[in-house]
Amino acid sequence: MDWEADLKGAVVEGDEIKAAQVAKQALDEGADPLSLLQNGAVAGIREAGDIWHAGDYFLPDIILASEAYKEAAKTIEPLLSHGQFSYRGKVLIGAVEGDAHDIGKNIVVSLLKCASYEVIDLGVDVPLQDFVDKVRELEPDILGMGAYMTTTMRGMSEVIGLLDQAGLREKVRVILGGAAVTREYAKEIGADGYGADAAEAVELADHLTGGK
Amino acid sequence: MGVMTKLTKAMLYSRGFRLTELDGFERLIAGIYGRPDRVPVIMQPYTYAMGMNGLSARRFFSEPEPFIHASYNTAAYFGVDFWSPVFDFYNIELDALGQKLIWRDKSEPDVDTSDPLVKSEDDLKRLKPPVAGKSGRMPYVLESYRRFMEIMKLPPMCYCCAPFTMAVLIRGYVNILRDMRRNPAFVHRLMEFLSMEVTVPWIDTMAELTNSSIIVMSDAWASQPNMAPETVREFCLPYIEKVIRATSTAMRTVLDTGSWGERSVKDPRQVLDIKMDMMLPGNQLKALRPFFLLVWNEDYEEIGIPLARAYAREKKVCLALNIRPNLIEEGPPERIAETVRKLVKEGAGKGKLMLIINLVPPGTPVEHVHTLMAAIRRFARYPIALDLDSMAVAAPAFIPFEDWVAKEGLPI
Repeated sequence: MDWEADLKGAVVEGDEIKAAQVAKQALDEGADPLSLLQNGAVAGIREAGDIWHAGDYFLPDIILASEAYKEAAKTIEPLLSHGQFSYRGKVLIGAVEGDAHDIGKNIVVSLLKCASYEVIDLGVDVPLQDFVDKVRELEPDILGMGAYMTTTMRGMSEVIGLLDQAGLREKVRVILGGAAVTREYAKEIGADGYGADAAEAVELADHLTGGK
Repeated sequence: MGVMTKLTKAMLYSRGFRLTELDGFERLIAGIYGRPDRVPVIMQPYTYAMGMNGLSARRFFSEPEPFIHASYNTAAYFGVDFWSPVFDFYNIELDALGQKLIWRDKSEPDVDTSDPLVKSEDDLKRLKPPVAGKSGRMPYVLESYRRFMEIMKLPPMCYCCAPFTMAVLIRGYVNILRDMRRNPAFVHRLMEFLSMEVTVPWIDTMAELTNSSIIVMSDAWASQPNMAPETVREFCLPYIEKVIRATSTAMRTVLDTGSWGERSVKDPRQVLDIKMDMMLPGNQLKALRPFFLLVWNEDYEEIGIPLARAYAREKKVCLALNIRPNLIEEGPPERIAETVRKLVKEGAGKGKLMLIINLVPPGTPVEHVHTLMAAIRRFARYPIALDLDSMAVAAPAFIPFEDWVAKEGLPI
């Protein structure tokens, strides 16, 4: 049985039930967790990303592929020893306080995972101080904030100010996105970048982490 | 003058029979059917009105009188041609079905997407249709429309949530994507329920009260790239047609609009074709229908206004373009005026264009909106000036909103 190929196929197809089953069976039968993750789940999510970039997948396909990846990773990752699998970078992400729109953010999370980033998703309606506390605690390479309403996007500027006050601003790259935000606004408030869509957010992350 | 007389006058004007001056409503109608005296502009005062009139979100989105008075004051202050009493129309039916909403102080309520009402197939079986007009905030909507008619002496353009968008919100995005693959029959059952047991009775109830000639189902989730075009054709369009057939009459046009995504597909016409299919099927006497093809700024800034203009001309429908909200908010006034000049230059043609101020972000300086209106009045007169590029817009003179309200406005 070629577990890695099967897992890769399940992820590309966006079948999260099959992905979880294959991962479990493979591990039960002694498959190497690192190899299964890299050559199965990660290879699958990368292939899904390539198909999407080629214009042959729509967003739903990539979202479901990401869900399948997540299910497989949930089973495999606890069996990896610390530091065994190296991510491209760590991204902390959330929609700012007052904003409950999670779809756009979830798409960015999916694509970042496709690109092998470790993503810590703080969810929606995140209190501004929480961003700062989590940056201190988790030391991400990138902090991504989303705002989908003009009423809430002002919170991003506050977070940048709070990071500054806490002496953390130089330790993390801040990127912004969301329907309400513009490139000009991101520049104006001193962010390190702006992603007009999920794909641009990943390119930006690659650029800022320097292909780490 | 009665509504029918106004409609007739506007339609005649649009065909070249120009007997008297047009008022704002007549300009809008004439603009939909042909060439008015100037490109019409309609406004959705929405949360800008809420902020300008110092209302909390709770009051604005649940009390008809302050909602309508604040919206009227805001629209009248800027002198737009027509305004729509727009509330959080994506939530009304869902709220009435029992879907949990998140309320905030300064912005519209939102569906709590972390807690969708239909978590399983069994939940759909248990779901009871709302009592149209009585459940949730439906009475707020109806009373708001009644007050709108009292003030404006005209029926409003009515809004509701399209069944497909309702299905995505009530089931959750990822859940419904999985359903579409594994259990499409369930998605069809959900769509059937939301279309025929929720949307149709609600449209009938709104129409009965208002006698409105245009009822809009808004369908943000039928947009690309969130959904593939084939998905929209399979799960969304057949139900739009069913709703339109059940609710459209000789004097009432029901249409589905509000989706976007021309920029997200290889051929923008693919999305434009879907938008046409969201209006045409089920509406009889198509040539006489007040259709409008709405293309959002994110898309026309990418694909170009000329492409949208050419498509609308080919299909013989009015093109509707919104003004980018961030532009109105950020300005500066010169940039706002330049944008209007471009929209008019590339979109006005010989008629069948309307401009929509769909959202003014709260806190936007009133000077920006006055400049926008001044630029439209200056640049958008038909026939469009040949020397448009050399024309200038004078800084608009205006009195502060509070002073205007004290003098002319309705009490909050």
